[in-house]
Amino acid sequence: MSDLDGLSPAETLDGASTVEVRTSASAALIPTIRAVASDLAARADFDLDAISDLRMAVDEACATLVDVAAPSSMLLCTFMVRSERIEVHAEVQARHPDAAVSTDTFGWRVLQTLADDVAVHHEPGVGGAGPTVGIRLDKRSGDLPR
Amino acid sequence: MPDPAQPGSNAPAADPVGEFLGTVITRTRPGTAVLEVQGEVDTLTAPRFSAAVDELMSDREGRLVVDLTGVTFLASSGLAVLIQAAHRAEERGARLRLVVGTRAVRRPLEVTGTDQLFDMYTDARDATGGDD
Repeated sequence: MSDLDGLSPAETLDGASTVEVRTSASAALIPTIRAVASDLAARADFDLDAISDLRMAVDEACATLVDVAAPSSMLLCTFMVRSERIEVHAEVQARHPDAAVSTDTFGWRVLQTLADDVAVHHEPGVGGAGPTVGIRLDKRSGDLPR
Repeated sequence: MPDPAQPGSNAPAADPVGEFLGTVITRTRPGTAVLEVQGEVDTLTAPRFSAAVDELMSDREGRLVVDLTGVTFLASSGLAVLIQAAHRAEERGARLRLVVGTRAVRRPLEVTGTDQLFDMYTDARDATGGDD
């Protein structure tokens, strides 16, 4: 457990291993992020449909955020691999204080279909930090009754 | 899933590093036009995919086939292009034929119910042959 010393108690308690990917908030780098997503899902023994779903959901979330990201900002994508599920948290600095992820789009409906749970959150800028927009999604390793 | 947004409207300028999509339209049989697609259809390549599908749809051939056998990723932006094409085909009383060989394409179509809009094939020869 010594390699988990840096994690918060909540993270070590439920045995999540965490992977962070930080890239420029550019659509050209999303293929790299979705490759990480499907690699993690494959190693966590997700079934093949669930791997495909997670890869597409992560792509969708990142593409949505890159659209509202500030120029030259970063996209931070955190994967928490737990038993039976992966939780993904993607976040960018928003271009405008009132930037919002629109949830009435076709892409958002697809994202809701692919993930078991999905939520968007906006944080107003505090102090010197700009406003951020994030998407959190959860994907189970296999098909369970919904 | 009705009313997909116009795909690629917010796509960035083409990036030669990230972008790879091959599209070829062939008419090997009379009355049949086939768009063959290779690569990943995502927010970067959706505009190119959309242009290729537009070109296919402007063809007056009776049988229109999109061969997605070589597609290794299909994002919602690509699904939206296909859905719009299906509706355009419907307006002229036709159904678009899709050839689907990979899970990366079949799964998004199935999980969204979009597969209902197309005649689905697993083999390009069956899609271009047909007897209708």
